[in-house]
Amino acid sequence: MAATAAAVVVRPVVPEQASLWSDAWRRLRRNRLALAGAIYLTFLLAVALVAFVYTPYRMAGVAVAQPYSGPSVAHWFGADLLGRDVLSRVMVGAQISLTVGIGTQLVVLAVGIPIGLIAGYFGGWIDSVVSFAVNVFYGVPNLLIALLLVVLLGHPGLDKIIIAISVTGWMDMTRLVRGQTLALREREFIEAARASGARPIKILFGHILPNALGPVIVQATFGVPAAILFEAFLSFLGLGVPAPQPSWGSMAADGLTAIRIAPHMVIAPSIALSLTLMAFNFLGDGLRDALDPRSRR
Amino acid sequence: MILFTVLAVSSAVFLGIHRLPGDALFNEHLHGVEYQNILHHYGLDQPLWTQYTNYLTGMFIHGDLGESFVNRGVKIAPLVLREATVSAEVGFVALIFTIGLGMLLGVVAAVRQNTWVDYVLSTTSVIGYSMPNFVIATFLILFFAVWLDNSTDGTFYFQIGWPGTYGSIGAIWLPAFALGFPYASIVARLTRASMLEVIRQDYIRTARAKGLQETVIMVRHALRNALIPVVTILGPLVIGIITGGVVIENVFGIPGLGKEFATSILNRDYNIVIGVFTMYAALIGIANLGVDLLYVVIDPRIRY
Repeated sequence: MAATAAAVVVRPVVPEQASLWSDAWRRLRRNRLALAGAIYLTFLLAVALVAFVYTPYRMAGVAVAQPYSGPSVAHWFGADLLGRDVLSRVMVGAQISLTVGIGTQLVVLAVGIPIGLIAGYFGGWIDSVVSFAVNVFYGVPNLLIALLLVVLLGHPGLDKIIIAISVTGWMDMTRLVRGQTLALREREFIEAARASGARPIKILFGHILPNALGPVIVQATFGVPAAILFEAFLSFLGLGVPAPQPSWGSMAADGLTAIRIAPHMVIAPSIALSLTLMAFNFLGDGLRDALDPRSRR
Repeated sequence: MILFTVLAVSSAVFLGIHRLPGDALFNEHLHGVEYQNILHHYGLDQPLWTQYTNYLTGMFIHGDLGESFVNRGVKIAPLVLREATVSAEVGFVALIFTIGLGMLLGVVAAVRQNTWVDYVLSTTSVIGYSMPNFVIATFLILFFAVWLDNSTDGTFYFQIGWPGTYGSIGAIWLPAFALGFPYASIVARLTRASMLEVIRQDYIRTARAKGLQETVIMVRHALRNALIPVVTILGPLVIGIITGGVVIENVFGIPGLGKEFATSILNRDYNIVIGVFTMYAALIGIANLGVDLLYVVIDPRIRY
């Protein structure tokens, strides 16, 4: 009798289990702008995927409408200078933008994380070399380097553009991962791992990287719109993906020449581009606040 | 340091471009002696190393960047120098926009923290730096050049772009605004964040306790210290404005370095590409030096 009463009294109130990630997810859901961004990006991804199998008209189909004709029921976003359907081209343009944005970040992650981890963990001359390279790349204006690379790599294409943008963007990730590694490698749990005989590769990817993942995800989220913006700049200047392929940047450049007679040609891709960049930035802001509550102002 | 950057950039571009397949005179279908004469004229018949040393001595000793392939006889050094001054003027106006507008918005948002003013300004600044500068430029053109012109039947008309003279702000404020607005948004965000940090400090409370006017406290006491983090991004900001000019100059048809850059790349006029890159390296070097000197003026704690 007494024993059961005691048991009832000492039973602790079990708090709801909340890991770092579920906690972050809860905070992210409360951020309406970030949520709106995520919803828009899901929609955009769906559009890009659908465009692989279905577009209202063929992406390169010439004269499916009167050239320069404005928005109508048959052609929601109007037609361009060759009478191509702008909506279909904006849809395919979403593929290009997302491919460049995400592809670039994959390259940046694949290059930046290992280099940053190794430089931060081992220090010494490796760190000096990496830091020097990072500083050199920060010193030169990245748009110019990307432009030059696109020229030097020869025939334009998606892979060349991704390479050019990655070359100008890897150092942000490297610097971030290096800084995180520097801070983490002095912590007790790393020392414990080292003392128990874990090999460096296990320590780097099994212990340090998972703990640095939050800032890395935030950085990558901000890196995607930066890469999309770069691709738009390159295409706008006529150095992007080759001709029949539509890119929002090159569509805007085409539209700009006809801005008096067919403003829809420049408005449609411009708005698609701005909304996409905005959605990524809102999502990035939200992720940063969710994953690192201390940074919140 | 500037010389080193210029040397490194122009060497990289020079060697990179000379490794490209094909040749710049391909489209002219020249044959035999004619072709040899042209090659000799540009020194292209010499070994790469000789060309390179000739190029370097030409640049550093005579200030000569060679001659255009497409417009034969046009010397590049005076051309890019003139274009650099055009770009510099537009960039300078854009920089004033960026800093002035950015700081103003940032301070207002900080002073009115958590009111609707703050929310509107903060959202605007995310929208601002999410919009590519050519999109902003497009909407400015649509509004000022197309819509206003059409709806007033041509009464509202002013030239947008480069009027051909220096110092006429009336025509370049639109390009400068489009160039500066994304960066103004970043400056506004930074100013707001650092103002909020500074406002909570004890010396601000002391100033309030002394009975100073709120505007005096904000401008003389708070803003001065809130400026320091803003100054640290001046370097990347200036570089961003210089490179952003490549796009903006093409939108507005401003005959600056950026327009020449895009044109010469598309024309495969490699001598000009090298010259423009060299000029950009010098411009950015000078801008960075200026920013470094400015740090000392704004933050007396920094010494060199």
